[in-house]
Amino acid sequence: MLSALTPLPNIFPPRRWWGGFFLVLTLLMAGRPAALAQNVGPQLTSPPKRILMLFSEGINLPGLLMLEQAMQTEMQRVSTNRLEFFVENLDLSQFPDTNHLQQFQKYLSGRYNETNLDLVVAFPLTKEYLVAGALPDALFPNVPVVFATVNEWPVPLGLSELGVTGIIQRHDLNGTLNLIQRLQPNTRRVVVMGGTSEADRLTLNEISERAKSVEGMKFDFWTNRPVAELPVAASTLPQDTVILLSTIQRDVTGQRFHLAEFLKSLSPVTRVPVYVLGRSSIGNGALGGVVVNQEELGRRTAQLALRVLGGVHPETVPIEVQTTGTPMFDWRELRRWKIPESRLPAGSVVLFRPETLWEQHRATILILLAILMVQASTIGALLAQRKLRRQAQLEIDRQRTELAHVTRVATMGQLASALAHEINQPLGAILRNAEAAELFLKKENPDLEEIRAILADIRADDQRAGSVIEGMRALLKHGRHEANPIDLGNLIEETVALVWADALTRQMNLTMQVSASLPVVVGDRVQLQQVLLNLILNGMDAMTGGNPAERRLTVHAARDPNGDVEIAVSDAGGGIPAEQMPKLFEPFFTTKPDGLGMGLAISKTIIAAHGGKIWAENHANRGATFKFTLPVDRCEL
Amino acid sequence: MKTATGNVFVVDDDASFLKSVSRLLRAAGYAVQTFESAAALLGQLTPATTGCVVTDLQMPGSNGLELQAALAQLANPLPVIFLSGQADIPTSVRAMRRGAEDFLTKLSPKEELLAAVQRAVARDAQERQQRTQQRDLRARFAGLTPRELEVLRHVVNGRQNKQIAGELGIGLRTVKLHRTNLTRQLRVPSVAELTRLVAEAGLFPPEPSR
Repeated sequence: MLSALTPLPNIFPPRRWWGGFFLVLTLLMAGRPAALAQNVGPQLTSPPKRILMLFSEGINLPGLLMLEQAMQTEMQRVSTNRLEFFVENLDLSQFPDTNHLQQFQKYLSGRYNETNLDLVVAFPLTKEYLVAGALPDALFPNVPVVFATVNEWPVPLGLSELGVTGIIQRHDLNGTLNLIQRLQPNTRRVVVMGGTSEADRLTLNEISERAKSVEGMKFDFWTNRPVAELPVAASTLPQDTVILLSTIQRDVTGQRFHLAEFLKSLSPVTRVPVYVLGRSSIGNGALGGVVVNQEELGRRTAQLALRVLGGVHPETVPIEVQTTGTPMFDWRELRRWKIPESRLPAGSVVLFRPETLWEQHRATILILLAILMVQASTIGALLAQRKLRRQAQLEIDRQRTELAHVTRVATMGQLASALAHEINQPLGAILRNAEAAELFLKKENPDLEEIRAILADIRADDQRAGSVIEGMRALLKHGRHEANPIDLGNLIEETVALVWADALTRQMNLTMQVSASLPVVVGDRVQLQQVLLNLILNGMDAMTGGNPAERRLTVHAARDPNGDVEIAVSDAGGGIPAEQMPKLFEPFFTTKPDGLGMGLAISKTIIAAHGGKIWAENHANRGATFKFTLPVDRCEL
Repeated sequence: MKTATGNVFVVDDDASFLKSVSRLLRAAGYAVQTFESAAALLGQLTPATTGCVVTDLQMPGSNGLELQAALAQLANPLPVIFLSGQADIPTSVRAMRRGAEDFLTKLSPKEELLAAVQRAVARDAQERQQRTQQRDLRARFAGLTPRELEVLRHVVNGRQNKQIAGELGIGLRTVKLHRTNLTRQLRVPSVAELTRLVAEAGLFPPEPSR
């Protein structure tokens, strides 16, 4: 059915249509040199440069539209002059008769005679309509001409002799065919769809020529079928096939087509990818190709036009033939046909790539990010604050616990004092009763009733003393601290005596140096003894493990320069590490594995309650001394 | 064993201790009366009451020191012995300065207590006798005129008649007349005797030195 045409013979000899092209150019060119001589020196204040853009075909063709737009934009961008563009469209494929051409010529010359055109840019696309003689000579005899065209024409000899220059953009057929093999190496068959216009056939001829040198792929030319049938036919193509869409200006039925419209009907049904030759065809369902980039061509034409506007003689500029295209693709089609972008040739342009979320919503994302960051930092700050507050709370709790502990310890001291007072009452009574009983018994006739009463009272007072101790907690509430005069020498002796046996066992050498003139201090004997005991035991602990000959602990008591009593307990142990110094008297600070860390803290509380100070000093060589002072009551004593 | 005699007034808010002390003192031979408060004791004392007071220091109501002060106001102040549960030095010093016989703790040995009581009872008897003599003497001085007392003060201070006359702004003869009158009235033979009599009567106590 679809057995295609065999490769087309070169059925359209170039000679015939080149004549028309020459004619158009000729009529534009006449009298040129003079015009060029006047047309130099761009001036900002001078009248604008007037450019006539003359299209042979309908400007509504997507490729031409893209070309025109790109060129105008580029010229406006680069030029320092004010530019005025005039666009005329011969629409030769619609109105191919000579009469139309003549009328158009009249129209042009009538319209622009009074307009001092500075440049004509021609876009001759389909030359078969510009038959020889159709246009009179000398349409714009003094205006330089630049042309741009996408075509497969051989460069006509003598074109530059007409005093025109321009760019001929070839379809990059080699590139496209290579591309097919590169992207889809398994392709065995290429279905070429093309039109029947002169330019269409020219392109098809070229494809047919290039196909000869391609191995491993069979080329079917679907050119003798109505274009409207092609989509249906394409829907049955096997997987190893691709479609190469050539130009279609007109099909075999003579119907005019726009590639874009054709692609829109082909794309939904085709089972194989569609390669195209022009950038303007991409976006309507074609995969892509090494295409003519009309935008790029527009920019290059603009640069050439500006050179000519700037005074360069067109005939001195060689006609440029651009044979390479740009690999361009439709991102959506790449996805559709599962062609990885890694397979695309270098320099490929992928169009219609959806903007990433970032590209689409950059401002929104930035704002959201900013809000998120503000929120995050706020939350972070709140969390940090919360942590700080918790730490502070923990610290407060810890201090409160310590305080409670220390307070309890201090209260214990008061309690001991109160306890002594309360117990002294029944003890005193017991003593007096016993003494009385002794006296009664010494009498000749002891009053036994009296003695019995005494014994009962003694028992009652004993129970009372016991109940005082039992009721410690009750006393805690009402106990009062009472300060008593204390003979410190005696206190030290007593305390040393308490630990004497322990010291002997532990091979510690205990000595006392108590000043004879030590004044009486007022305080709580039990508490002070507790402090002293604590310091002595600490000192002994510090020396444990050392050389027994060096285990000397001295308790020294004398008046200090202020007149207060200073008691020092010196050991020959390891001394106190500097970093521990500030923490020594803190509650729960201990270096002993089984220590509570309360000894020195309690000592500090007790000494402070007595109005004194307690501190520690390291010796120069070895060991440390703990010292405390007790103020001497300086009243009338 | 020697049996002591005399009255002891024991004050303590602790009934048990009160009873025990009273027993001890009774066993030692004293006549003992017990009081649970200073006020109870003070309400019962008369100028004729002899003996001594043994008191606790810390008591509800008026404490031992206040009792001591109240007793000192009486015509015949009884000596005071403090018996404290817990003595502190400033208090004990104050008590002693105010004339306390002793300052003991409740756990002091009985020997200290009994010795103190014994001293106090003896002291009371002695001071009581002195006070009786003084009162008798003062009665003899009571008949003197103010001018005669004035002259007497100068005489016992060793002043000559001329000095006295100059001091008082009166004539020498008048001084002599006053001296004659007061020696006759006091029935003293010499200035030395007169001076002894004045000292015994405690008439012109020396100026407080502090």
